[in-house]
Amino acid sequence: MMLLAFNSFLVAMLSVPIVTLISHRWRKGRALPAALLMGSLVVGTAVAAVGFWRGQRFQVDISQVASFSFALSMDRLSAFFLLLICSVSLPVILFSSSYIPRHYSGARRHWLWVLLPLFLTSMVLVVTSSTPFAFLFGWELMTLFSAGLIVIDGDSKQRRHNIFIYLVMMHAGAAAVIGAFLLFLPHASNFAQMRDSAALMSPLLRTAVFLLAFAGFGTKAGIVPLHLWLPRAHPIAPSPVSALMSGVMLKTAVYGLVRFAFDFLGSGPSWWGYLVLFAGAVSGLLGVLYAIGEHDLKRLLAYHSVENIGIIYLGLGSALVFTANHSSVWAALALTAALLHCLNHAIFKSLLFLGAGAISDAAHTLDLEELGGLQKRMPLTGTVFLIACCSIVGLPLFNGFVSEWLTFRSFLAGSEMTNLSAAIVLPLAAGVLALIGGLAAACFAKVYGVGFLGRPRSGEAGRANEVSLPMQAGMGALATACVVIGIFPGLVLRSLGALTEELLPGAALPPEATSLTVVLPWIALFVLVLVGGFAGFKRAKKLTATWACGLPGLDERMQYTSPAFSKPLRKVFSRVYRAERTLEVVPGDPPYFPVSISYRSVRTTSFEKFLYRPGVDAIVTAALRLRRLQTGNIQIYLLYIFAALIALLMFMRWA
Amino acid sequence: MTLMTNVLQVLLLILLAPLVRGVISRIKARIQNRRGASVWRPYADVLKLFRKQDLVPASASFVFRLAPMVVFTTTLVVAAFVPLLHGSALLGVTGDFVLLVYLLALGRFFLMLGAMDGGSSFGGMGASREALVSTLAEAPFLLALMSVAIAAHTASIAGMVQWTMGQNFFQFSAVYALAFAALVLVAIAETGRIPVDNPTTHLELTMIHEAMVLEYSGPSLALIEWASAIKLTVVMALLIALFVPWGMASSVSALALGVASLVMLLKIAALVLALALVECSVAKLRMYLVPDFLGVASALAILAVVFTALMR
Amino acid sequence: MGLFETAAAKALASSGVFLFMTVLLIAAAKRISTCIALFSVQSLIITAQIIAVSRMHHSTEGFVIAGLVLSVKVIAIPYVLYRIVEELKAPRDVSSSTSSSQSVFIAAGLILLSFFAVRPYVGVLGGDQAMLAAAVALVLTGGFLMVSRKKALMQVVGLLVLDNGIFLAALTTTFGMPLVIEIGIVFDLLMGVFLMGLFVFRIRDTFDHLDVSKLRRLRG
Repeated sequence: MMLLAFNSFLVAMLSVPIVTLISHRWRKGRALPAALLMGSLVVGTAVAAVGFWRGQRFQVDISQVASFSFALSMDRLSAFFLLLICSVSLPVILFSSSYIPRHYSGARRHWLWVLLPLFLTSMVLVVTSSTPFAFLFGWELMTLFSAGLIVIDGDSKQRRHNIFIYLVMMHAGAAAVIGAFLLFLPHASNFAQMRDSAALMSPLLRTAVFLLAFAGFGTKAGIVPLHLWLPRAHPIAPSPVSALMSGVMLKTAVYGLVRFAFDFLGSGPSWWGYLVLFAGAVSGLLGVLYAIGEHDLKRLLAYHSVENIGIIYLGLGSALVFTANHSSVWAALALTAALLHCLNHAIFKSLLFLGAGAISDAAHTLDLEELGGLQKRMPLTGTVFLIACCSIVGLPLFNGFVSEWLTFRSFLAGSEMTNLSAAIVLPLAAGVLALIGGLAAACFAKVYGVGFLGRPRSGEAGRANEVSLPMQAGMGALATACVVIGIFPGLVLRSLGALTEELLPGAALPPEATSLTVVLPWIALFVLVLVGGFAGFKRAKKLTATWACGLPGLDERMQYTSPAFSKPLRKVFSRVYRAERTLEVVPGDPPYFPVSISYRSVRTTSFEKFLYRPGVDAIVTAALRLRRLQTGNIQIYLLYIFAALIALLMFMRWA
Repeated sequence: MTLMTNVLQVLLLILLAPLVRGVISRIKARIQNRRGASVWRPYADVLKLFRKQDLVPASASFVFRLAPMVVFTTTLVVAAFVPLLHGSALLGVTGDFVLLVYLLALGRFFLMLGAMDGGSSFGGMGASREALVSTLAEAPFLLALMSVAIAAHTASIAGMVQWTMGQNFFQFSAVYALAFAALVLVAIAETGRIPVDNPTTHLELTMIHEAMVLEYSGPSLALIEWASAIKLTVVMALLIALFVPWGMASSVSALALGVASLVMLLKIAALVLALALVECSVAKLRMYLVPDFLGVASALAILAVVFTALMR
Repeated sequence: MGLFETAAAKALASSGVFLFMTVLLIAAAKRISTCIALFSVQSLIITAQIIAVSRMHHSTEGFVIAGLVLSVKVIAIPYVLYRIVEELKAPRDVSSSTSSSQSVFIAAGLILLSFFAVRPYVGVLGGDQAMLAAAVALVLTGGFLMVSRKKALMQVVGLLVLDNGIFLAALTTTFGMPLVIEIGIVFDLLMGVFLMGLFVFRIRDTFDHLDVSKLRRLRG
């Protein structure tokens, strides 16, 4: 039954592009691709939900027919990530079904409906594959299709440069992932074999596998300093695609790391855990600090993806430290926290990117300086955006809090370790997480306060209107999920506990983890009753002008701007930004009234300057040197072939 | 009976909070050689504001009126976390310190949004400064509470208080002096008192909290003022409960509770006096020195966590 | 165990932490006079430690040393330094090359470093780990103060903190040096402070400021 449903899901997904190409000639067939895609995603969600909650497994093996080992299978971990992919992309597609026709026409629209299902299918392939071949096949396709989706929005020089960086980094990452798989040779035909052979590997080889997987998946996940592509690629994609890339695609990298570190390798030395923990702490802090400095909404959100991947890595790192110290119960808690944060981030980050799409749809800009007052013009979009902001900040009663709380509790549990370094490092990591949370709160108070509250800062924002119904419905569904998981986390926690028990044998979720599920509904009820009571209690209300110190003429330009809001924090953390400022003053006559003043402040992160620039320069120099081999003379090329032949013969004889 | 006591504790905290504020300003007035207003003045203020009408800027959205309600409600929930008369509280057993810190953050987040909804530059200014202070205060707040939680082997507030009560004062490790010092600094920042923020100022250069609530009036302002009074009292009660809980009732009987409330009143009075003295003798810090102030708190909290982990 | 012994043991156990706090506060302090007051408090804590140790070992010599430290380090030297600060009428800030919160974090790092540095030797040398670590931490932060503060007077304060550390190390490992040596050291210090005071006045009179970093101009 499950197998049949899964197969029909795959077939339906793959048929969407064909249907698009056939149906675009008829006017009535326009809605067909979206409907078919949503229908197949519903089936996929159902399959994944059954697999996740009931723990059913099945396998699709076409190795016999296909001459290479290609098999898909589903265990609880796959089912969880499949659920994440399908359930989050369903509202995104619902949103797109109205967004895409409004913004794209002709060939570009068809290309979107062709590439979107293929992109989704490639992600499904990644999380359900059970052979390295299938995994890498899906992994590469995922990169290519997402790059294709970015190209649809245009290919100016700047955009091509950004896409180039995206592709180069993704392929470097993929090379590391392939390397990690190759180290399992000759026992690398399927995952089960790899699991068995990993136990027999030498510690050095295991470490090599771990490091390659860490680097490869880290590139996809966007941990600092491998995050460079994120703020470049996400802002230039169509908003629903950004939602899928940031909310869903990054999670496949987490899936890969979990699969390698917990499923294949089992456990390792505790420095693996500290490495992941450190990467998480640095990514989290720098991600949110860079985000605070931004006022382009989508770039800001892209940096927040770096931050949230950092939080997920904090959970994963502490789980690795716990497994290294043979305390699988606490490892289960930390792993649950990380996985739940994957789901939560998928939900609220997709919602935020869809909100950005709705804003650009209504106000035609994503620059916070041009927005403002949108809450009154777009009540529903504003409200769901507020819910998403509360979730990403990790405030109680919203889903982000639950996973951050679990991470905090795992850090506290770290103090129970007999190993002294774990007992000190893990509790201190809680301080980092708290700082990240505080910075995120400041950042989203800025985003929502400047973007949605106050008065409109531009005519466009003042004329904005609420978006269409399917777009509202898509965002509303995601916002509902944020609140439901935030108040009743028990719905997912129990099954996640079963999942971690599968990965870490003998690790039931500790009872402390469920104390939150008891207290949150009560708090929610109390808050609802009290706020409802206050709101119901009709108070005399009078509309007035904003107080302007008794002077007339307060206008929207006098409001606090986004850079002004973040200035104190940027000043305190000025070492992170290293802004290069130039101030040019053309003095007038008299000198007190300058003719013109121009001020320019450019921020390049130190990573670009000190890490990537020398590397790129070295590669370019090497390439220039190698160019000497290319003379263009045909006889020289023949000489190369001849020399290669001789060398091969000698190698065969004496090596 | 226990449930009734717990409800009583929350009610006491809520109802006595304006009095604490009144007493502080009265003591400060006496120190500064003024007569000062009556200690009941904050009650009169809140009552007066509740009877007035709400003035709402025409450009503001529903967030403007929602924010004070959220602030008040979350502060009430936090009040239910803190043991006052005996080693338990309404939510103190299941509610842990992370939830407490983040509930306060929830209220603060909405207050910042409400401030920015007014559409004046004051609101944005206050929110921006509050963002700075609260961001930097969050980590030491959590770490200081964490160090107590490590020592007590529990995360629930009531559990920590009961653990401290079980300790002999002379065996009580001095490491908690570090956590206590960190928490005092954080509490000053969190409740917006001198030297971080001046609750009585209306000068653009200095105000933080007052700038945020400048646009509010009537019942909304009453809720905010009352909530900030409750927050001050709750933070004081938390400090007492975590570090000097001795004297709380060990059993729930009328006599024990009576004695406990008397002792608690004395402790709060001592804290109030100390706060008033500090506020009269210290100048408010320049805003860019506040990170230094909170940096000291962070260093103390980090040392507290490391030492509790070492000494355990 | 009588009440006094309990209190003495308690004072010993907690004094390490209180010393750490004075160290952090000196690092955070912005005015020279605050640093001097904190040094005085620090010496007072050490006096209490001497009394507690000598009480536990029933030595009368210890009380003499305690009285000496009390009169010289808690009262005399801080008083002299205060007078110098007042007489100088120079700006009273410590003019540090690191910001206040940076200094605190550095000091906290030094404390942790010293804590882990003395761990292997606690068993060998005897004595309480916190006290031994506090001694090393005092030496390190004293050095740090001398390196990072630009005012000549702060270098005196740094030296005094450093000396407190050495004194404490001797106290924790060998229960103090012989009386004669202690007296010698204490008076040496007193003379040193007087001499430094004289130098500070000379520097001020010649250059009109106390910023040692500007002494570089004396290079030929």
